[in-house]
Amino acid sequence: MSDNNNGAGGGFEPKIVGFLCNWCSYAGADKAGGSQKSYPPNVNVVKVMCSGRVDPQFVLKAYSAGADGVLILACHPGDCHYKEGNYRAMQRHRMLLRVLNQHGIESERCRFDYVSAGEGDRFINVLTEMVETVRALGPLTKAIISDNPNSNMIEERS
Amino acid sequence: MKIGVYFCNCGSNISDKVDSQQVQQELEGLADVAYFKINDLMCSDDGKQFLSDDIAAEMPDRIVIAACSPREHENTFMRVLSGAGMNPYLMQMVNIREQVAWVTDDVGKASSKAAHFIKGAVKRVGFHKPLEKKSIEMSAYVLIIGAGPAGLKAALSIAETGRKVTLVEKSPAVGGQPVLYEEVFPNLECAPCMLEPILNEILHGEHAENIEILTMSEVVELTGFYGNFIAQIKKTPRYADLHQCIGCGECVSVCPVDVKNEFNNGLDDRKAISLSFAGALPNVPFIDMTACLRAKGEDCRLCEQSCPLGEGIILYDDAEEIVERRMGAVIVAVGASLYDAGLIPKLGAGTVPDVYTSFEFERLLSSTGPTGGQLVTRSGKVPESIALIHCVGSLDSNHKEYCSGVCCQSAFKFNLMVEHKLHDTHIHHLYKELVYPGKEEFFLYKRAKENPNAVFTRYRNIASLEITAAEDKEGGSIIIKNTLYEKAAIKADMVVLCPALVPAKDTGKLNEVLGTTSDTYGFFEELHGRLDSVRSKVRGIYIAGACQSPMNIAQAMTQGMAAAGYVLNGLVEGKQLEIEPITASVDEERCSGCKVCMLLCPYRAISFDAEKRKSHVNEVLCQGCGTCVAACPAGAMNSNHFTNEAIFAEIEGVLA
Repeated sequence: MSDNNNGAGGGFEPKIVGFLCNWCSYAGADKAGGSQKSYPPNVNVVKVMCSGRVDPQFVLKAYSAGADGVLILACHPGDCHYKEGNYRAMQRHRMLLRVLNQHGIESERCRFDYVSAGEGDRFINVLTEMVETVRALGPLTKAIISDNPNSNMIEERS
Repeated sequence: MKIGVYFCNCGSNISDKVDSQQVQQELEGLADVAYFKINDLMCSDDGKQFLSDDIAAEMPDRIVIAACSPREHENTFMRVLSGAGMNPYLMQMVNIREQVAWVTDDVGKASSKAAHFIKGAVKRVGFHKPLEKKSIEMSAYVLIIGAGPAGLKAALSIAETGRKVTLVEKSPAVGGQPVLYEEVFPNLECAPCMLEPILNEILHGEHAENIEILTMSEVVELTGFYGNFIAQIKKTPRYADLHQCIGCGECVSVCPVDVKNEFNNGLDDRKAISLSFAGALPNVPFIDMTACLRAKGEDCRLCEQSCPLGEGIILYDDAEEIVERRMGAVIVAVGASLYDAGLIPKLGAGTVPDVYTSFEFERLLSSTGPTGGQLVTRSGKVPESIALIHCVGSLDSNHKEYCSGVCCQSAFKFNLMVEHKLHDTHIHHLYKELVYPGKEEFFLYKRAKENPNAVFTRYRNIASLEITAAEDKEGGSIIIKNTLYEKAAIKADMVVLCPALVPAKDTGKLNEVLGTTSDTYGFFEELHGRLDSVRSKVRGIYIAGACQSPMNIAQAMTQGMAAAGYVLNGLVEGKQLEIEPITASVDEERCSGCKVCMLLCPYRAISFDAEKRKSHVNEVLCQGCGTCVAACPAGAMNSNHFTNEAIFAEIEGVLA
């Protein structure tokens, strides 16, 4: 198992959680798989039916469980299988960034983007960019301590 | 809890890049994992048999299958679980082929990534609950709103299978718009001849007893949901007995009251008791009580007295009535109307005599119309020239940006019908664009173009056209100027405006009653423009014909048939409606009644129980997106199979 958070310098491999909607972005990730192009293995995928299901608490939970970055991928505007869940996800992401910024967590650690079922290459590009961005930022030093999912506290990571 | 992990080599697709031994080592010590088994090809018959036998032998509480994408074989393995007597929702698939093996060069890294994915699944699957598909009683009856081409086709198709249909029509007659036309494009077929066999089938055919027709009626309330709708239908009194009247018309001829005939767009008069037009079906007159002398307090009984069947046919005591019908599905087919040409005042609609809209012109051409099909101006003159203005309010960001696709065909049809009626009359086509897509449509354009009396002139912007009454009647009583080219004025005796198709009047109101949505232009909004253009966004409510988008008769008929197909496919007589278990549900203890969820739900699946002050999820309508769950500030909304607990556990697992 690769432990990474204290790996100063070149050895740092960021851990990223990717929330992918079932209909577009998860299918886009499968499409990338079909093309059999290699990409960084740092993103751990958690599938949800719709990006609208991504509760901001999931993102905070990911940070508290050790993620250095979070990727939320949705259907393109107008393409949502559930009509408008992706708009909700986009709105929540904006709101969440303000909270994260207030606690000194960089916006770049939480990226929201659109990947369609056909966009395998776009999935790879977004994912690779995210990994490189977070790699450049270094390990997340803030930790979100939370046993109760309804009350999140952000502290220095030990 | 006993969790079994199955690892599929997928031939060598997975095993080439993911080392099952390394994965197994990384999983060591993970709580609840009772065993780790490898199979070469789980989706093969042998693989499925292995899985089935092994589940029977091991009796695990939950299983994790690390294999291909769940988009590939999740359903396959769910069926295996069901067959082996295990609830299919107690399984979690891990995608170690498309998202690991195929996209990671380094075996060590791929195996480690696979292990993280599997850990997430193991943690998650512990929170899975055995879910069951529920089924509820439903009605196979169908309500159809609008008796035009789409509604008639749907009604007949459904009735032919023995299903009961209620067909609600606002006007006194069935047949929709085309029944008012003399001939239809593209082949100038006689419209009544084309429609009457269908109308007769609906009214008197073999399956007519399955179709209840409510004319002069409107749906005023719809409650319930797919499979179990309840509609309140307002019936306006006809004042004539639909079943006994023989439609002889004696009563019409004796009526002393003349009023403007709206069925001929006010181009002539009708009586207070009247048929919509000669040959209207059902062939029973109606009394317009706003015009009848009886409504003014006079005891006129001329119509009743003239009836050869005696008393009891004309029903002066007939009254408005609300009837209730229960049905499983609703088909909306209320058609379209024309863009109001009065919104482009320089075109002279309603102000310059002998400027007509295309609908008005259809009636002028019709043998049941105000002139009996004689093409004459209001002053009774045979027109020497007629101008046909295409694209009125179309392709124009100041009006409607779309092309309706049918107006050009109407104009070409008018060209030929005029030629047939008046051989020497000149025809001017003024157009912005000409369209004639389709295998038959070009023919009509070609014929119109070949008319030696026809001239085609293009204009750039309808705002530069000015239509006025000519002072000098020489060569025509109307003058059409293009203000950009002063010299290019055209004179005509008649002008026909061919406006864009727009949503029918009251479409917005009906949308509110049904809870459906409208698109940018006010048409009924479809679920998906290409995949599901006859499904509205409310489950069980279908939209067919020009109420969905401008279209021709052929397309409307096809959509009517498509809607019938959805109904026959979805509501099977004698069967129950199956409900997918991945839906949201409310924990009433925690619900504070803030209604945030209701505002967010795109399917109107959430209602509010005013008594309890709690939200309620309708499992039939809920599609399980989970948007409401993420929004609930009280954490009262739960998402089956995608619970917060399960997702939190998965996040912890993949990062462990």
